Amino acid sequence: MTSFDPNRISHIHHDLHDHLPSDPALRAKTLESILLEKGLIDPKAMDAWIEMYSEEIGPMRGAQVVARAWRDPDFKSRLLSDGTAAIAELGFAGHATGHLQAVENTPDIHNLVVCTLCSCYPFSILGMSPAWYKSNEYRARAVRDPGGVLAEFGVVLDENVQIRVWDSTSERRYLVVPQQPKGIDDLDETAMAKLVTRNSMIGTDRDLSPSRKGG
Amino acid sequence: MDGVHDLGGREGFGPIPFKDDIEPFHGHWEKRAFAMLQSSRGDSGWSIDWFRLCRELIPPAQYLARSYFDHWLLILSAQMIDAGYITLEELKTGASTFKRSPASAPVTAEGARAYVRTPRSFAVEDDRPSRFSAGDRVRTHTFGHSGHIRLPFYVRGRAGTVLSHHGSHILPDASARGEHKGSHLYTVGFAAADLWPEAKGRTDLVFVDLWEDYLESA
Repeated sequence: MTSFDPNRISHIHHDLHDHLPSDPALRAKTLESILLEKGLIDPKAMDAWIEMYSEEIGPMRGAQVVARAWRDPDFKSRLLSDGTAAIAELGFAGHATGHLQAVENTPDIHNLVVCTLCSCYPFSILGMSPAWYKSNEYRARAVRDPGGVLAEFGVVLDENVQIRVWDSTSERRYLVVPQQPKGIDDLDETAMAKLVTRNSMIGTDRDLSPSRKGG
Repeated sequence: MDGVHDLGGREGFGPIPFKDDIEPFHGHWEKRAFAMLQSSRGDSGWSIDWFRLCRELIPPAQYLARSYFDHWLLILSAQMIDAGYITLEELKTGASTFKRSPASAPVTAEGARAYVRTPRSFAVEDDRPSRFSAGDRVRTHTFGHSGHIRLPFYVRGRAGTVLSHHGSHILPDASARGEHKGSHLYTVGFAAADLWPEAKGRTDLVFVDLWEDYLESA
């Protein structure tokens, strides 16, 4: 029976630290072999999870959503009013996107997403979260020093641009819709999607012009 | 709980690491740790909130020093020991000494794929009227409590404005105790200048999703 007792879990964590190897690779191997031997996990389910998040699901999904929003104003308004229903149109609704809120960048507004309390992330449209997003540094600084964080990612905003930080404290998840770069109206949706970076959908990238430095 | 996991606004952390790292996993063991936890159905009453509380209870020095997927290994090990499916001794020796049937059958590959393509709602039917609406000024509670809570330290006791109301959602505080209870959920906007001394004069905003249990009228 699960205790739901914080003191008990705290003691177990101390035991794990005192008695098991510090190398996580060793602990992973032992835990897996014991769970398999006890029939508590199905190795085929593990393979499916790894396949899905190594190969099939990644930020290209979110990029397609953004490109669709750029090309189709009706889709964009559906995306901004009910993100989950809109991404379901492309077959992307699912893991951690049951309550998706899209937030739009404008010339005067820049949006930045963080989870200060853990590492919440809209997995089914952006894939596995990048290591920096899960870092203590990002979680600590994004709400307090968003301008400094953005500068480290090479994003320098004009003084008059308002930064809106979204702290993912509930099961709602946030997707930033970056601004469409100028001069790409002739591109089709697929070509537009190639311009959309993972970081731009979290908020640590802003200018997606094909001509930008390093773009 | 007032733990080190509550990182928002803590100073002295320095530059953001791994900015150019786009790999979903690093090394074989991270994949295995991720897949093991996702594939474990666990015990009755386990929830995302029980998972988060077990993460918050990793001793502070280790919480800050160990990587994300190492946290996952520690969480799953602790949860499995707590629920009586495995023992510390088994983890020390690497040998299973008993079998106990799980509360429900392990997740299959098909089940995992269905889970990932099915959006899950955390909304709860709730007859109680909501206390606040968009535009209302609210103030967060000054105190939390020693269990799981999603009221970050940096907004405690601060006033903000309700941006939107989302109906009633599962209250994480109760869910982490194995209980099912709803509370009205709001997105509350705080002026950065009301949160941080160095934001004086800026118009930046910080939005936080907060449950009615954490709020009073301002």
